[in-house]
Amino acid sequence: MSRAASTNEPTTDTPPEDIAKSSKAVGEPLVTVENLTKRFPIKKGIIFQREVAAVHAVEDVSFAIYPGETLGLVGESGCGKSTTARVLLKLIEPTSGKITFEGEDITNLNKRQMRPMRRQAQMMFQDPYASLNPRQTIGQIIGAPFRIHKMSGEAKPKVQELMERVGLNPEHYNRYAHEFSGGQRQRIGVARALALRPKLIVCDEPVSALDVSIQAQVLNLFEDLQGEFGLTYLFISHDLGVVRHISDRIAVMYLGHVVEVATADELYNNPKHPYTAALLSAVPKGKVGAQVTTRTVLTGDVPSPVNPPSGCPFHPRCPKARQVAGGEGVPENCRDDLPPLGEVVDNHHAACWYPVEETEELAKAAHA
Amino acid sequence: MGEPILEVKDLKVHFPTPDGVVKAVDGLTFTVHRGETFGIVGESGSGKSVTCLTALGLIKRESAQISGEVLFEGHDLLKLSNEDLRPIRGKGLSMIFQDPFACLHPFYRVGDQIIEAIQCHDSCDKNEAKNRTIGLLDAVGIPQPDDRIRDYPHQFSGGMRQRAMIAMALAHNPSLLIADEPTTALDVTVQAQILELIDHIKQEFNIGVILITHDLGVVADVAQSVMVMYAGRAVEYGSRDEVFSGPLHPYTWGLLESIPNIDRKGGRLVPIEGAPPSLIRVPTGCAFNPRCPHRFDPCDKDRPELLDRGGGHPEACHLRIEDKKRLWNEREAGRVEVAS
Repeated sequence: MSRAASTNEPTTDTPPEDIAKSSKAVGEPLVTVENLTKRFPIKKGIIFQREVAAVHAVEDVSFAIYPGETLGLVGESGCGKSTTARVLLKLIEPTSGKITFEGEDITNLNKRQMRPMRRQAQMMFQDPYASLNPRQTIGQIIGAPFRIHKMSGEAKPKVQELMERVGLNPEHYNRYAHEFSGGQRQRIGVARALALRPKLIVCDEPVSALDVSIQAQVLNLFEDLQGEFGLTYLFISHDLGVVRHISDRIAVMYLGHVVEVATADELYNNPKHPYTAALLSAVPKGKVGAQVTTRTVLTGDVPSPVNPPSGCPFHPRCPKARQVAGGEGVPENCRDDLPPLGEVVDNHHAACWYPVEETEELAKAAHA
Repeated sequence: MGEPILEVKDLKVHFPTPDGVVKAVDGLTFTVHRGETFGIVGESGSGKSVTCLTALGLIKRESAQISGEVLFEGHDLLKLSNEDLRPIRGKGLSMIFQDPFACLHPFYRVGDQIIEAIQCHDSCDKNEAKNRTIGLLDAVGIPQPDDRIRDYPHQFSGGMRQRAMIAMALAHNPSLLIADEPTTALDVTVQAQILELIDHIKQEFNIGVILITHDLGVVADVAQSVMVMYAGRAVEYGSRDEVFSGPLHPYTWGLLESIPNIDRKGGRLVPIEGAPPSLIRVPTGCAFNPRCPHRFDPCDKDRPELLDRGGGHPEACHLRIEDKKRLWNEREAGRVEVAS
C-alpha cells in the first residue's frame, strides 16, 4: 500500500474521547481534536508560485482533554508539538480535521466568532524574555486581556490581585519586564494567562528556559492554580521528568504523529511503542547505584518532515523492527503500512505493529 | 585515575563594571586527572563557564582582574602571553562549546574548518590534513565522511554539528577536553549519543574531560568527580558516589530535590526558595544563607571554607557533620514517604 493511500484513511477507530482515559475523565471532554492535520506548503517561483512540497507538521492527530485534567505532550524538537497546540487554539488554521471546544465545533469559525472562545483558552509561552513587551509595564501586560475583551471596571485591583496570587509583589505594578528575573517573568506570563479565568491553558515549554531550582517553584505554582481554579492544561515539554510530574495523561509525538497515549504511570512503567521506550532509556537517571539498564541508543536523526518515511514514521530508526526482521532490514508492514493508534493493553494506546512487551529490553542498536 | 593534568589553585576572576565588581569566580581550587570526567554543576551565573574560559585564556585580561594559578603540563596558563598560549590552546587543551549552531562558520565547508584547525598547529600539506579530517569525522560517527566534508554547516543536523565540533577539538589529540554544556541544545536521544561518544573518546585516548552542565542527571551518568558551584565558589567537591549518595551541602540537597523524578510520580516538588544572588552583591557569610532552610548563627557572618569536616569529602557548610547526615536522611525519608 502506498503512503498516500494509507494517510487518507483515519488511523484509528477509537473516538478521540476514549483514547487512554485517566481517572479525571468524567463527563464531556473540554477539547477534542479529530484527525487534525497541518501541512505547511513549500512554494517555488516568484510570480507564479506553485507548491513543490509540504512540511508534514501534524498528521492525523486525535485526542481529547477532560476538564481539570493535564495532558502532557512530549517529543523531540520538530515533531509537531507546538504546531498541534497552535492549531488547537486556531492560531494557525488546520489543513483538515475537526476541533471541538465545549461541544462546539470551532474548526471553521472566523476571527470574530472565535472571540468568546479565546476568553476560555489561553496560552503560556516558552521564552519569558520574548513573550513580554519590553515597552509596557507589568500592569499593562497583565491588564491587556481586560482591555482586549472590553471588560468594564477598573483593571488595576484585579491585576494586583493576580500578581499576588502568582507570587509577585503587587507594588511592582509599574515596573518593566527587564527588571524581573526569568522565573518572575514566567510568573507574569502565568498571571496574564489567568486574567480572564480561562478553562484551558496551553503551556508550550513553560519551564524549559528556567534553572532547576526556579523550575520547581513554577511547577508547584501550576499545580496550585489547577487545584484552585479547576484549570485544564495541555502541557508541552521535551523534559520527560517534568511531563511525568505534572501530567495525568501523556501523548508521545514523533514526526507529526501521536505514537502513544497512556496515563503517566502506565506510560513510564510500561512503554509500548519502541520510540517511547528508547526516549525513556535515553534520559540520564541522575542516580548512582540505580539498576543499570541497557540504554537504547537510537542511531541517526529524526527524518525530515518534508519527506517522511513510508509506513510507520519510526521504522528507519526502530530497534524493535530490526529485531523482528532478524537483523535484515525491517518487516514489510512497518515499511509500507501506517500502524493505527490502537488499544494495546487496557486503556493504553500505541501505534505500532509490534508493541514492546513488558519484560522486554530492546537490544542496544549498534553504532551506524 | 591517572596523573593530574590540570590544577586550578585559588582562581579568582572579577569583572569591574560601573555598578560594582562582578565576582564571577571567587577562589576556586580543583584538580582534573587523566582518564577522568570531571563534572562542574551549577545554575546559570554560578561561574562554571567563566572558570573554563579563563583557563583557556579566552577572557580578555584587560577587562577582568584574574588571580590564582592554572597549571597545565608545567605551565601556569594565566602567566603565559598570548603567543606562548597559542601552541597549547587547541592542541593540548581544547574545548567544545554549547551551541553547535553558533560555533561553525556558516560560509565555510565543515571539512575546510577542520582542516584549518589541523594546519593551525601542524605544518602538514592540505592533502594530509584532508585525510586526517576524514579519519576524524569517521571516528566521531559521521556517515560517509569523504562526502560530508564538502557540506556546509546548515546541511548538518544539530547532533552532527556537535560531532563535527568534537572532531575539531580532537584534531591534535588533546590531553584535556573541556565540554561546556555540550548537550544542552540537543534532544535527549541525540544527547545520549553525544555523551556516549565523549565517554568513548575519553577511554580510547585516555584524556581528561571537564564536563560543565546544569543537568545533574548527566553528571551522575558520566562523571567520576563532581564539583557543585554556587555564586562563584565550590560548595561541594568529591567523587560522584560521595556527592550523589551522601550529599553534605544544603544547596546540593535543594538541587537534587527540585528535579522531577522520572522513575516515579513524586509528591510536591521541594524548590529552593528565592533566586540566585547578584554576583555584585553576594550575601556576606555563606552565599547560600538567604535561601538555606537550615541557616543558623554563623551563616550570615563567617564564610565557610571548602573543607572536609569529617564527611569524607570537602564541602562548605557550617552545620556539624552529624546534623548534615541526619538532615539528609530525614529529607530522603520524607520524600520516599510522600511518593508511596
